[in-house]
Amino acid sequence: MSAVWPVARAAVRRRRVQTVVIGVVVLLSTTMIVVALGLLAASSGPFDRAYAKQSGSQLTASYDRSKVTDAQLTEAARSAAAVGGPFPQVTLDLAQPQMMGSLVAVGRADPGGAVDRLNVWKGRWATKPGEIVLNRNPTESSGRGKPQLNGTLSAGGQTLTIVGFAYSVSQSADAWVTPEQLNALHPTSTQMLYRFTHAATNAELTAGQKAVTAGLPSDALIGTQSYLALRALTAGQPNTFIPFLMVFGWLGLAVAVLIVANVVSGAVVAGFKHIGVLKSLGFTPTQVLTVYLGMVSIPAVVGCAGGVVLGNVLATSLLTRAFENYGAGGTSVPIWVDVVTLLGVPALVALSAFLPALKARSLSAAQAISAGSAPRAGRGLRVQRVLSGTRLPRSVSLGLGLPFARPGRTALTLAAVVLGVTSVTLAVGLGKSLTTYQTAASRAGAVDLAIFAGPNGSGPEGPGAPPGAKLTDAEDEAVLRSAPGVTSVAAMADLEMRLAGTQSDLRVSFYRGDFEQVGYRILAGRWFDGPGQVVVSERFLKQRGLAVGDTITLQSKGKSVRAQIVGKAMYNSGDEVLSNWATLALIAPDLRANIYEVNVKPGTDLDAVVKAVQAKDSGLQETEGQDAGTFVAVVLATVVLLTLMLGTVAALGVFNTVVLNTRERRRDLGMLKSIGMTPAQVTLMVVTSMIALGAVGGLLGIPVGIVAHRLVVPAMANGAQIELPDFMLEVYPAGLLALLVLAGIVISAAGAYFPARTAARTTIAEVLHNE
Amino acid sequence: MTDDNGQAVVQLTAVRKEYGESAALDGVSLEIHAGEAVAVMGPSGSGKSTLLSMVAGLDRPTSGSVVVHGDDLGTLDEKGLALFRRRRIGMIFQFFNLLDDLSALDNVALAAQLTGTSAAHARKRALELFEELGIAGRRNTYPSQLSGGERQRVAVARALMNRPAILLADEPTGALDTRAGEQVMDLLLDLNQIGQTLLLVTHDQQLATRCASRVIDFVDGQIAGERSLERTA
Repeated sequence: MSAVWPVARAAVRRRRVQTVVIGVVVLLSTTMIVVALGLLAASSGPFDRAYAKQSGSQLTASYDRSKVTDAQLTEAARSAAAVGGPFPQVTLDLAQPQMMGSLVAVGRADPGGAVDRLNVWKGRWATKPGEIVLNRNPTESSGRGKPQLNGTLSAGGQTLTIVGFAYSVSQSADAWVTPEQLNALHPTSTQMLYRFTHAATNAELTAGQKAVTAGLPSDALIGTQSYLALRALTAGQPNTFIPFLMVFGWLGLAVAVLIVANVVSGAVVAGFKHIGVLKSLGFTPTQVLTVYLGMVSIPAVVGCAGGVVLGNVLATSLLTRAFENYGAGGTSVPIWVDVVTLLGVPALVALSAFLPALKARSLSAAQAISAGSAPRAGRGLRVQRVLSGTRLPRSVSLGLGLPFARPGRTALTLAAVVLGVTSVTLAVGLGKSLTTYQTAASRAGAVDLAIFAGPNGSGPEGPGAPPGAKLTDAEDEAVLRSAPGVTSVAAMADLEMRLAGTQSDLRVSFYRGDFEQVGYRILAGRWFDGPGQVVVSERFLKQRGLAVGDTITLQSKGKSVRAQIVGKAMYNSGDEVLSNWATLALIAPDLRANIYEVNVKPGTDLDAVVKAVQAKDSGLQETEGQDAGTFVAVVLATVVLLTLMLGTVAALGVFNTVVLNTRERRRDLGMLKSIGMTPAQVTLMVVTSMIALGAVGGLLGIPVGIVAHRLVVPAMANGAQIELPDFMLEVYPAGLLALLVLAGIVISAAGAYFPARTAARTTIAEVLHNE
Repeated sequence: MTDDNGQAVVQLTAVRKEYGESAALDGVSLEIHAGEAVAVMGPSGSGKSTLLSMVAGLDRPTSGSVVVHGDDLGTLDEKGLALFRRRRIGMIFQFFNLLDDLSALDNVALAAQLTGTSAAHARKRALELFEELGIAGRRNTYPSQLSGGERQRVAVARALMNRPAILLADEPTGALDTRAGEQVMDLLLDLNQIGQTLLLVTHDQQLATRCASRVIDFVDGQIAGERSLERTA
């Protein structure tokens, strides 16, 4: 073996270009694989670990205390594997600078128990009335402006001292006090925490819920929160990335394998003489095989190691970003991903080199030396003859014939281009699907004008604060409707509300007027048409395990309203609910609209509309409409980056082939130049040979890319917990398909140009005299 | 194929070519007139092939000037040199340098097609040359199926395709057996006798004495001597 290493190392040095190509291609492919596998493995890992450690609640339920007793709940819960509670529960309204909104407080004597064992990570547990423990993630900022240990907060007419901070992975409450203290706060509901023997799916959880509520009054249960929904919420971002990262990763690895096979078979063909010399020196066939495997394994191992490092950095960054609010820790790439990649990728590369290296092994010394110097029989002769007789410029017709001279190499290169075009097609489709979705979901451009109206009578509260509206809500709506060119006005009021039985704060937007004109698309069910009705997003439903037709309880300012989900609309937020003015009247009948969404006739001067309405109510202010979400921008940027990486990898495959071809054909190129072929004609000939492949690769890669798009987009939508309308898949019009064929040509031309230029500059005398 | 004014077809003046620190040509001055057949002889590394490369415009001198058929090669860019080679010279190599993927006929037609001649016209002209050189029956054969002598005849046909001012031959019989070598010698002699200017680089004394009217001896990049010969043919 001692003789093999220096020879393999020398082969690496001699083929610097191919060595760099292999290293870069393996590096990029490995990076994509590590990121994809890392996200796949880690996306649910932190949640599951933390849940197991805390024996988290698989179903958190809130019951109406006026309808069911603690004894009934305890009796009904016998079928559960483990139970926490009953605990008294109340939703408290807060009104202090650090903590606006509401707070769900639960009375618990201690943080332990069979279910939801709380992690008291700072201070201590509440042991007497007047004390409160807040639910806070240990990784969450606790700097200025946040409640501090030993600070106080006022809620329900009482002042409570913060004695500790605990964390519940089940998100069972915002705060805990002693049961005595909670009773003093007049609890309205009772919390039960359940774990079941079987709870891996929504169906099993539903069965468990049915069992523990059997025999209870039908309207006693006011809300539930499933751990599957919490996990889906946690893994939402990584699950969106995984499908396309996996596809890009495997595409990259496939291209890497093709390129390596191409490099080694090219090296064997070009190195016949070298092989013959090695064997005549006494190298055994296995040693020759080892030299050729070593030649590719060295850059492959280096590239793979670099890719693992880079992949870890990128994946950790994405995971940290995705889980930063989760606090379960351990959001790095699992070690097994690194080990599998470090062993698997070089093994795969070596395997792809094995067949051509076997050829080197099997050649006898005499065969190898004579094969290196004897004239070879031509290939693709019929094609060459036909092309010779065409009216095409000779450099073009010669170029078109070149791929037929090395059919095996051509097939490998074509496959690399096909995969490159597949990537571009997939990326373009993903980009269009995402932007189409984002435009529809964010209602970007759906409303011509958004007018803000502050509460009546409120004066300026500071520099830059908007003034209050001067007219009443009804008068302002009338003013807007009478403005020139206005075609529709939807009045909207926002209210922070709490979904009963959960820790979720929701923003409920109550509409009246022309709300069907403001860009929401109904995907299932219908718009609301009476009091106690809401429309929600797919994400809202998935995160809470609800469906159209279910009823939820919304709470605010000490009031509750039961509302039926009558429709599902297309928008991103899982924490936003749409409802109507009739429902608002049940909770806050005096609230006025704070936003008017206005549409106008085409060509209407929006500034003139704003001036006209401000002339009648100077308190009305134009405000900005909806903007695109940053998450989609991050996904799009990632897709563009990966496409560029894969396009580069495919172009490197072409580059490598052209380097091999032009090196093999140095003598031919020298001869062509000696009979008067200009450098430009040589470049044209070589680039043409690859452009033809690019065009074919484009035609083959487009359908593969469309199929990949059809698989990836639904998987991403599922991961992102959104409904997938058909229009998100119909993103390839004929004009775009024609343009995508160009992608193959561009990849090929980009990969071929530089080695073609180098070939065109070959010194003829040197080539022709070195026989 | 002759220079109408009787001037030199090739004129080298004080040509020096350096590769690194060594000089392959060292102050070579030389003239070749229309219709002449000149053989350059000398040991390996004496600069013969470098001289041929200078005349063919395949390489550029470090100093001095090379003028062929009125073209000062030092003033031409890469494209200009390519056009010069296309129109003014024909080259024959020791190892033929035919394209393996093209038939014999298409190898020859290629030279004309590069000038923009249509495929039909180029093939017609190539076929005429095949008939003149006695290889018309092998026109659709591929290089790997031809004998050495036949390959060299195809190479000669390709070199003559664009009616060059001078035919340059680098060891044209070096890779051939005796019989094939003699056939090629006869061919070159015939061409010269109908007016084709020839510049041969060779180790082969027999080729030189049979085909050349003048022999230039090269040693260490310099002209060591010059002889006029009575052809033995």
